[in-house]
Order: sequence, then C-alpha cells, then structure tokens
Amino acid sequence: MSLALEVRNLRASIGSIEILRGLDLEVGFGELHVLMGPNGSGKSTLCHALMGKPGYSTTGSALVAGRELLGEDVETRARMGLSEAFQYPTEIPGITLRDLFEELADQRDDGDAIRARVSEAADRLDATRFLDRPVNGGLSGGEKKRSEIFQLAVLAPSVAVLDEIDSGLDVDAVREVAEAVERMRGPDIGVLLITHYNRILQYLKPDRVHVMVAGAIVQSGGPELAEELEERGYTDLVAEFGGPTPDAGEDDFLAGL
Amino acid sequence: MRPLTVDSVDARADSEIPWLTDLRRQGLEAFQRLPMPTSVEEEWRYIDLDFDLADLGLADKPGAPMTPGPYDVDGLGRATIVDGSVVVVEPADGITISRIADADPLLLAGAADAAIPADLDRFSAASYGFGGDGLMVHAAQGSVASGPVVVDVQAVTPGTLSLPRIVLVAERQSELSVIILYRSPDEGVFHVVPHLQATVGDNARLKLTTVQAWGTDTTAIGQQRVVLGRDAHLHHGEAGIGAALGRLHFFVDIDGPGAHSEITGLYFGEADQVLDYRAFINHRAPHTTSNMFLKGAVEDASHSVFTGLIRIEAEAQRVNAYQTNRNLVLSDEAGAESVPNLEILANDVKCGHASTVGPLDADQRYYLMSRGLDRLHADRLQVRGFFEEAIARLPHQQLADPIRAAVNEKYVRAQDEGRT
Repeated sequence: MSLALEVRNLRASIGSIEILRGLDLEVGFGELHVLMGPNGSGKSTLCHALMGKPGYSTTGSALVAGRELLGEDVETRARMGLSEAFQYPTEIPGITLRDLFEELADQRDDGDAIRARVSEAADRLDATRFLDRPVNGGLSGGEKKRSEIFQLAVLAPSVAVLDEIDSGLDVDAVREVAEAVERMRGPDIGVLLITHYNRILQYLKPDRVHVMVAGAIVQSGGPELAEELEERGYTDLVAEFGGPTPDAGEDDFLAGL
Repeated sequence: MRPLTVDSVDARADSEIPWLTDLRRQGLEAFQRLPMPTSVEEEWRYIDLDFDLADLGLADKPGAPMTPGPYDVDGLGRATIVDGSVVVVEPADGITISRIADADPLLLAGAADAAIPADLDRFSAASYGFGGDGLMVHAAQGSVASGPVVVDVQAVTPGTLSLPRIVLVAERQSELSVIILYRSPDEGVFHVVPHLQATVGDNARLKLTTVQAWGTDTTAIGQQRVVLGRDAHLHHGEAGIGAALGRLHFFVDIDGPGAHSEITGLYFGEADQVLDYRAFINHRAPHTTSNMFLKGAVEDASHSVFTGLIRIEAEAQRVNAYQTNRNLVLSDEAGAESVPNLEILANDVKCGHASTVGPLDADQRYYLMSRGLDRLHADRLQVRGFFEEAIARLPHQQLADPIRAAVNEKYVRAQDEGRT
C-alpha cells in the first residue's frame, strides 16, 4: 500500500535561490500531519513546488498515491490526486465557483461524479452560497478559507495540502475551519496542514507534527511537539539549522514564501 | 452605383428640417475641402486607411434585407435601414418612429444641438452631403416605453458605401430604449459611415446598446454623439465584434447639471481586425457624473485602439468622472493601444482613469489548473470572466447571451485551431 504523500530529498529553487534543501516527508492515508515553521522557512514554497507552480525548479521526488508528480504540469498533478488550499487564493473575476465546477465537469470523463459531489459537499459544508459568487471575489478571509475547503471536498483528492488555512481568522472562524478539516479526513485521503500557530490544533487531532526550518524538516513528533514549540518558539531551531532563506530583494514572486 | 458628386445628391431625401438641410450644404462643401484623414492626425493615430471615399459609390437602390441573425431580439417597435435607406418602419405605441423626411420638423427641432459637426472629418462631410434617408426615433415628453426599439442597420450591396443616419430624441421626463444592430454579410466588401445622434432631455433616460456585427470585409467608420440635459441619464452599451476596421468616434456632451453618463463596452478582435474607439466625454455642467468601462481582447494579428478624453470645463464643478479600459493581448502579433486622457479646467472634481494592456493572468491560470482544469479550459474560463464583468453591465441584458457567445466562440475557435 502506497502512502498518500511521499516526498524524498525535495529541492526547490527560484532562479539561483534554493529554498527547499532536501525535504523528506511521509503522510499516510487516513492521517493528518501538521507542518510548522517560522516565516521564510519555505512552507509555501513546498506547496507551490508540489503543485508545480511555474517559476520553481525542483529535484528529488514527490509521490502522490505512489505516482511521481515532479515533471508533470499543474493540471496533471491535480488529476493525480493533489489538491491545495492556498494561503492567498487568487480571485477569478467574472467567474463563479459554479462556472468553475461546470467547466471542470465538462472537461472530465467523471463529470457527473463531480456534479454530484458539488451538491453533496455544498449541503454538507453549508457552502451553497459560495457557488454563485465570483471565485474568491468579495469574500472575507474566513469565507475564502471555507471556499477553498469546499473546493477540496468536491475535488476529493488523495492528498490535501492546506496552506495557512487558519491565518488571519478570528477564533470562531478558526474553529469552523478546523471542523471542516476534521470532516475532510477519511481513509482515502492524507492531509497536510501548514500553520504558523498551534491555535487551530486545539480543535484538531494530528497524527504527526513536523517542524520546518531553512527549507528542510528538522524535527518531527506527536501532537505534543506543537505545544513544545508554542512554549519555546523557533529561535533555538533557527539558530541551530539556519535562518530564513535569503532575501531575494523586491521580486514579487517571492512574496508568501 | 452613384458616385459622390453633387449630381448624385438624393433629392428625395431632402427633409424640411432646416438644420439638417444646412448640414447637407456644409457637408457637400466640407467634402470638397477635406482630404482623407491620416494617422498623423491625433484622432486617427494608429490607423492607416487604404481607400478614398471619392472612389466609392452609393447603391442605386437598397438591396434585399438579410435574414434575422443572432442579435435579433424582440422590440416594441422596429426599423430596418438597408444600404443607407430606411426600408421598414414598424411603429410602436407611445414612440414615434419614422423616416426623417416624413418627420414633423417640430419633433426634431431640439435635435440640432446633438448634430455631429459636418466638418468633423471627410467621413462626416460625406454622411451629410451624400447620405439618403435617415431614421428618427422620438419619445414624447413624459412617455415611458415598455420595451426597446430595435434598429437593424445593414449594408448588403457589395462594393458600395452606405451612409445610414439615426436621430434619437428623448424629450424631457421620457424613457427611451434603443438597440441598434449593425451588420453586413461576410462575403463582399462594404464601407459604412453610420451617424447616430441622441438628445436626452431634462430628467429623461436613454438606454442604448449598439452591436457591431459587421461582416469580415466591412469597414465601418461610426460617428456618434449624445447630448444630455439637466438630470438626464445615459446608459450605453457597445459590443465590437465584427468588421475589418470597426471604428467608433463618439462624443457625450454632458450639458445639464446632475446628468450622468454610463458607458460599458467590450470588443474582441481576431484575424487582422482593427477595432478603434475614440471617446470624448465632455462635462459642461456642474454635479455631473460619468463612468466608462471598456474591456477588449485581441488575438491573431488584430489590433485595438482606445483613446479616451474626459474634458471638464471650468464651470463644471463637483464632477465625478471615471474611465477604465482593460485589454487582453492573446497573441504575439496582436496589439492594443490604450490612451486615456484627462483635461480638467475645474478645480473641484473627482476624476480617474485606469488602463491595462497585458496577457492572460498567470496566477489565475495556476489557480484554475490547480483545480484540475487543463490550460485550454483554464484560459477559456479566464477570458469568459474577463468579459463577464462588462457583459453584466450592458443595459439590454436580452443581448447578453448572443454577445457572450460571440466573444467566447472567437476565443474557443482560436484555441481549437491552435492560434493561441
């Protein structure tokens, strides 16, 4: 039985700047893993490198349900079972979520299954109101995150990567998002949740917690690791394993590393 | 064919409207004097004309009208203009629709102020000098029509020049709704100089949509002027789809305090189409507002031009005026010029313009592909969304579906044929 996500010695760079420096990670089906780390440790780069965002060059290996992602285009990676909830979801003006799903269903052989999951997930996640609004347009921070989770529920991936799904939310919204994450869990999916804070962990029961510093995972453990980090911060780890990846200046594409 | 000479002036079209008779005389005079414009002139920058009006001729009689097309929608009243002549007039309750030659001069007395100047250029001169019959649509004071008047303007006799004229008058407190469809067959070369003028009286409202669905070898040099009275309201939509060269040179004169002009447009060029928009929004009274929102795309080797001038006169204080022009350039050979300008003589105004020219957005593409859409479908959705913002603001939503279909089909066809 393959793992949901298996990352081996993943290196990723933008231009000459290496941001991921040999990252290893395993997430089994049915598991929820949490990835924590200070700003600039490469958490969002991991998301984009896995998803295949143009501009990142990668080496190593990243398997989803046993199939290699690296080298494939973004759409193929999505089809292979990787879905991400983005920290800053892009607004698509003039297009509603319903339009997006309809286009997807039209394009795919399993269109009817997608349509069925749209109505099922909309009911289950109380997300019907997102369907007829522009994708990420005019949504509050919490609504954007819920819309992302709704989309993931429709896409039914093998691996869900949730990038700072809890940032910028008030306490109630964090709890709601956490509940949605718990509902997403199941035997056919592995979930990787990336966060700055352990606030959301009050509502979640992760199987593993990993700490990322300077482009690699430097420590892994059970849920208690998150509590430890909350107490002692990242300062010691940064001192031991290196600081944030080098500042590349003003380039926009480095925003959100 | 009748050449453009004084001998060919159509005596039958001569109206009893004194200001139009004057303009005909002025047009004939100006046509002798004015050369064909060149791209050296600011208002013709980026445009190269490869013909002279003097080499073209008018149809001897109007040809057979075209069959209904995709933009044919139900109207309260209808009129058809073929090869520059009004051939069909179906009246409507509460609105007067007639040939200008048959119109009561009193009904058109107030329209003189909205006339396009005869010496604007050689095209306007020709329109007045040699144009035939025109169409008048008149809403009486206080009248409110329950539906749009549909005016179907066609050029059907290949190799000819046609000079259609439409005069709209919405008297004070009235509401007038007009859809104008411009079309010609894909087969055959056509030259058309449509003149459209509208007078919107005090507290009156005009809803106006123009659809340029010209055939692929048609050169259309449209000129248009709207004059707004006190508290008058214009809601104008424009869709530029067809034509080899489709130009719209238009003026909105906001003369009455409290008046508002809302203009929404979209255009999509393919092959070697040139779509050319010259907008002049003149605020000449205080407390007036205007908003223009134009979105265009160009693919293949097509080009678009938008130049927009918002001019605010010294007496026009407390004005709000905005102009937005966004362009998608979908191939290396295509190009879009976007030149918004402000000329502000008053000191208490809010004005702004935004202009963008660029390719499809890489972040939107990435996001959509991350949801499992392939690149073709992701881009298709993005193009659709781009135009949707304009389509949603069109004044006549009954035209939304065919306009949406026309622009989206252009892009999908280009994708299917590997031209993107």
